[in-house]
Amino acid sequence: MSEPRGRILLVEDTPTQAEVAKALLSDMGHEVRHAETGARGLALALDWMPDAILVDLQLPDFSGFELMRRLKAEGVEAACIVITANASVNTAVEAMREGAMDFIVKPYGRARLKVTLDNALEKRALRAELTAVKQQLNRGRFFGFVGGSPTMQAVYRTIEAVAPSRANVFVTGESGTGKELAAEAIHKASPRAKGPFVALNCAAIPRDLLESEIFGHVKGAFTGATDNRPGAAKQAEGGTLFLDEIGEMPLEMQVKLLRFLQTGSFQPVGASRPEKADVRIVSATNREPLAEVEAGRFREDLYYRLYVVPIELPPLRERGEDVLLIARHFLAQFGKEEGRRFRGFSREAEAAIRGYPWPGNVRQLQNAMRNVVVLHDAEMVEATMLPPMLLRAGRRPPAMPQPVPMEESAGFSAPESLPATRYAEPILPAIEPLATMEKRLILAALDHTQQDVPRAAALLEVNPSTIYRKLAAWRAA
Amino acid sequence: MRRIRMVKALDPEIAGQLAEDLPPAVFRRIIATFELDLGRLTAELEACAAAANSDGYHRAAHSLAGAAAAVGARRLEFEARIAMDPRQPEAADTLLPRLTAESRLALAELHSLAQA
Repeated sequence: MSEPRGRILLVEDTPTQAEVAKALLSDMGHEVRHAETGARGLALALDWMPDAILVDLQLPDFSGFELMRRLKAEGVEAACIVITANASVNTAVEAMREGAMDFIVKPYGRARLKVTLDNALEKRALRAELTAVKQQLNRGRFFGFVGGSPTMQAVYRTIEAVAPSRANVFVTGESGTGKELAAEAIHKASPRAKGPFVALNCAAIPRDLLESEIFGHVKGAFTGATDNRPGAAKQAEGGTLFLDEIGEMPLEMQVKLLRFLQTGSFQPVGASRPEKADVRIVSATNREPLAEVEAGRFREDLYYRLYVVPIELPPLRERGEDVLLIARHFLAQFGKEEGRRFRGFSREAEAAIRGYPWPGNVRQLQNAMRNVVVLHDAEMVEATMLPPMLLRAGRRPPAMPQPVPMEESAGFSAPESLPATRYAEPILPAIEPLATMEKRLILAALDHTQQDVPRAAALLEVNPSTIYRKLAAWRAA
Repeated sequence: MRRIRMVKALDPEIAGQLAEDLPPAVFRRIIATFELDLGRLTAELEACAAAANSDGYHRAAHSLAGAAAAVGARRLEFEARIAMDPRQPEAADTLLPRLTAESRLALAELHSLAQA
């Protein structure tokens, strides 16, 4: 026996009419249920969730229009078709106004009923499909993320799929792509959402304090340990522990983390007994994790423990029109915060935003928009209001490296720290290895800010942890 | 295909089509339901007329018109619509006998159609 074509609820009080309709509908292959009153029809609709409801206008308890109003209020999405003996325009208009998809005049034959019902069912199916597709494909926002590009839709789907499980997640992506945002989204979409979300940046913590930060310490464990202090693992009990920049974790600490992952227990620094914590670990790095394993900087066994479900966040330059969506989002947010009038971007400004490769990703875009809003006030953001680097990028072939403006005293300047006039005559520096240039630029930024790492990071449009990490690596070299 | 005779009390477009489209057992069930409706609704009409219950009289007439229309009993539907007219163009004591006669005729023709 084939599957019924549709679930049809008939709300009709006259037995002969109901019998005829039921016979015709069954003969068409539909599954039919019948209610003789409006109240019974409402109850059946909520309980059975039909695809379509044939509603007689004159019912013993209340009118068919009232039934449709109640169905709508209850969120019933079935296609309603009004059955009426009154073929007037007024009735038809009122039926449509009350949410009917169509109406059919009594007496009706099989052909008329079939066409009306098939149309309504098809229309309803299309509407449901459209809603589902829109929800799946056109999500412009997902938890804290802004962006509807196909690459981000794939990220959203992975987050949704992995969130309900206990599996460890490893987030990779360039600096500024939103790795912590992804970790928070996993937490918020998970059954642990009511528990704490604790984020720890392994690169921003001196290596001799990392163990204490993660596992806590007891009073007297070391100089300055004046009290018992729970670590991030304990604080994240019942929730999620996000270990950012995990590639920076010293090897001896990796062993302790591995033991925690294997047993669920850990020993606070200076404690004599192990403690337990139920946490889900989400870790992240902007390095290639397998390359770190091959280079001996990351334990292979820990890698396999953590790298259960990988999520790779795409760089902003690969997210198409997302760059404008995000720029508009920040413009609106910062404009509101700063009391500015901005409503959008001029075409030239949009082109400049689109054309820039955003090596610092969303964080860099966020800084650029903050810069625009703080320094200007107008209805539209004009191209000239954008940081100069965006305009220079638009004038050069994309494959060419960006010239780094020189500053006499330190060799390199931090781009946004200088007035635009200083960029009028950019001087190409001598070509050196990228690592050397990067080091000189970071040191120049630190000089410029009197060794203020967060300010230097803001000027370079990178995370402060990137600078800490680099400094640590240079010291170790 | 069953042969549909030209009948007087029934609209062949409706009744004939039902007889043709539906399995005989289903068509006979519809006639049985209609017969029950006729008995119940004509009794209601008579009771309401005797009690001068105009609301009940209109409701019963409305249901009877719907039932008649569903099986294509056009003449019966016509008489029922006179009874449900709020202006009451015809008194119950002259209308109801005619309505009862039309009911019998429609039912007889439906049975005849079911046997064809």
